[in-house]
Amino acid sequence: MDVVLVAALLVPPVSAALVALLASRRPAAAAWYSAVAMPVSAAAAVAIAIRLAFGGAPVVVGQAWRLDALSALLALLIGLVTTLATWLGPGLNRQSVPSSETRPFRVYAGLFAFTMLVAVSTSNLGVMWVSIEATTVTSALLIPLRRTQAAIEASWKYLLIGSVGIALAFTGTVLAFVDYASTGRDPAVALQWMALVAAAPSLHPEVAQLAFVFLLVGFGTKAGLAPMHTWLPDAHSEAPAPLSAMMSGVLLAVALYAIARWKAVVDLAIGSAFTDTMLLVVGTVTVFVGSASLLSQTQYKRLLAFSSIEHMGLACFALALGPLGVFAALLHVTGHALAKSVAFLLSGRIYDRYRSADIDHVPGLLGTSPPTGILFLAAVLALAGLPPFSLFLSEILIVQAAWSAGHPLLTALVLLLILLAFASLLTHVQHMLFGEAPADVARDEGGRLRLAVLAVPLAMLVWIGVALPEPLRMLLSRAAEVVGR
Amino acid sequence: MTGASAMLLLALVVLWRHHVPAYVAAFRMQSIALAFVGAVVARYGGVPELFFVAALILVLKAWIVPRILSRMEARRPADAALQPLVNTEMSLLVSGALAVAAYELSRPLAEVVSLPTRGGLPIALALIMVSLFVVVSRRQVIAQIVGFLMLENGIALLALLGAYGVPLVVELGVFLDVLMGVLVMQALVPRMRRTSGG
Repeated sequence: MDVVLVAALLVPPVSAALVALLASRRPAAAAWYSAVAMPVSAAAAVAIAIRLAFGGAPVVVGQAWRLDALSALLALLIGLVTTLATWLGPGLNRQSVPSSETRPFRVYAGLFAFTMLVAVSTSNLGVMWVSIEATTVTSALLIPLRRTQAAIEASWKYLLIGSVGIALAFTGTVLAFVDYASTGRDPAVALQWMALVAAAPSLHPEVAQLAFVFLLVGFGTKAGLAPMHTWLPDAHSEAPAPLSAMMSGVLLAVALYAIARWKAVVDLAIGSAFTDTMLLVVGTVTVFVGSASLLSQTQYKRLLAFSSIEHMGLACFALALGPLGVFAALLHVTGHALAKSVAFLLSGRIYDRYRSADIDHVPGLLGTSPPTGILFLAAVLALAGLPPFSLFLSEILIVQAAWSAGHPLLTALVLLLILLAFASLLTHVQHMLFGEAPADVARDEGGRLRLAVLAVPLAMLVWIGVALPEPLRMLLSRAAEVVGR
Repeated sequence: MTGASAMLLLALVVLWRHHVPAYVAAFRMQSIALAFVGAVVARYGGVPELFFVAALILVLKAWIVPRILSRMEARRPADAALQPLVNTEMSLLVSGALAVAAYELSRPLAEVVSLPTRGGLPIALALIMVSLFVVVSRRQVIAQIVGFLMLENGIALLALLGAYGVPLVVELGVFLDVLMGVLVMQALVPRMRRTSGG
């Protein structure tokens, strides 16, 4: 049974990439294949998540694969966001997109989803590192899909900073491995999650600290944490919209997942005081950088990118705040994945319509295409942390956790930054929604069905924000238990 | 020990030479030294699978990757010597400081590891830090790529000396990633108008 679940999770994305690679003459057919295959993967993730939410045992296949509640949550997010991205990606609509974009998109998006899913479902933290490193390569290849100079440079910057950052995470992984191997246990299973957790209390405190610093800097680079975030605004804004949705919605979350896993191991060795301090500092700085940069942005995709930095900073901050904080962090990551992927996917439609990336050049969105405008408004309001969306709930929980963990000053600072982000986002979005649209902008609205799909994640955000469904609450608490026991 | 020291010295070459062929040659020699260290550990540490890893290092890092780098260099429009952001004297000074810091940082590590190779651990950490400095202080893309590859070599050295290598599945994954990364980088670079990276 477990074999079937894991296969159903991992095979669809990689097969979609293969089909797109082999069926070079028929890109549309390959696009349709991936649009049908990804939901299968998402359904497998849902099945795994439901099992773990109701207290089931982790999904285990041999030594290689192991999905606990934390993995299941991430797999679920990856499945959902990738499904949205494949449905709205190039190749499925008859108009606009040249078919030369379809094939590379389908190949690399499939591989990208596959590498992310492997990263969260492997039981080996070394293999997790390998696949997160591979996400850099698979996603960097897709950024210059339209071959503009800016996109190529953004891709290069991302590739270089991402690779070097992730190499530092590998240094941390190797340090932890060396530490483990010298406790005299079997080195062959050293980086397996269960073996590592069992051995963690006997790790050397100073080596564990050194390893965690390298791991935080390394995976933090991929998660867009300041001051290693400099690649992110360029990469996320130059990438094609469906890829931006995947990179921002789930890749950042996968990097944060890696940090959370290692935090759990290091905490078992030396207690949580050290990692908590590190995460609080890095998280606060990141929220500050993201929030303070929002107001001065002139392009809407860069605006969304800095908002990602802000939200990742909040989640990182919350990871340091005990069980309630970890729960809030995971809820926040969930809400961010849904809201940000919708916003980025819509930004692609806005760009296709106005042919401009500047906020000042896209006024009157509500007039030219009310459905796009309304959905975009809803997504941005969700990202601004307004009720009834779930990000409001998670931000309240984060503030509450910070307060009860005894950080009144940091609580006040973060609250202030959240409000600043809220004000900046609203200022920018109202420029886009209202006003007079340029005369040459098309007013018809194609692909209504595909647009309606985007209402689903927004409805989920409201549902979570209003009623926090019991299965999700249970999944989140069990996932939080993995991080902080 | 000798092999590890040679690797650090070869990283320093990049700091005072200003021409790409010298960088690539230094990286090639460094990889050969890494393979040598791997083979020695395999022989005296009794870990036969490391012979396989050493052979892979030779093929991939001492042959395939340097060839890709040389081809990139050949296609690059010829320009004068590479201008680093930091001058040679300063670079060597910073590297010296980093090496001292590496010795300090690796002290707890030396307490933990009981293998006979532990004496080389500070050198591995120093190599990692100096390579990182190469990446951030050079503007030329090939120099940055070489810095990144030397960083990978440093980590491999750390794993070899500290624990006789990481599990084979991880090792293979790392090789695959390095190869993919370099291939993507060489596909991307010619399309950039500027030859200096960000």
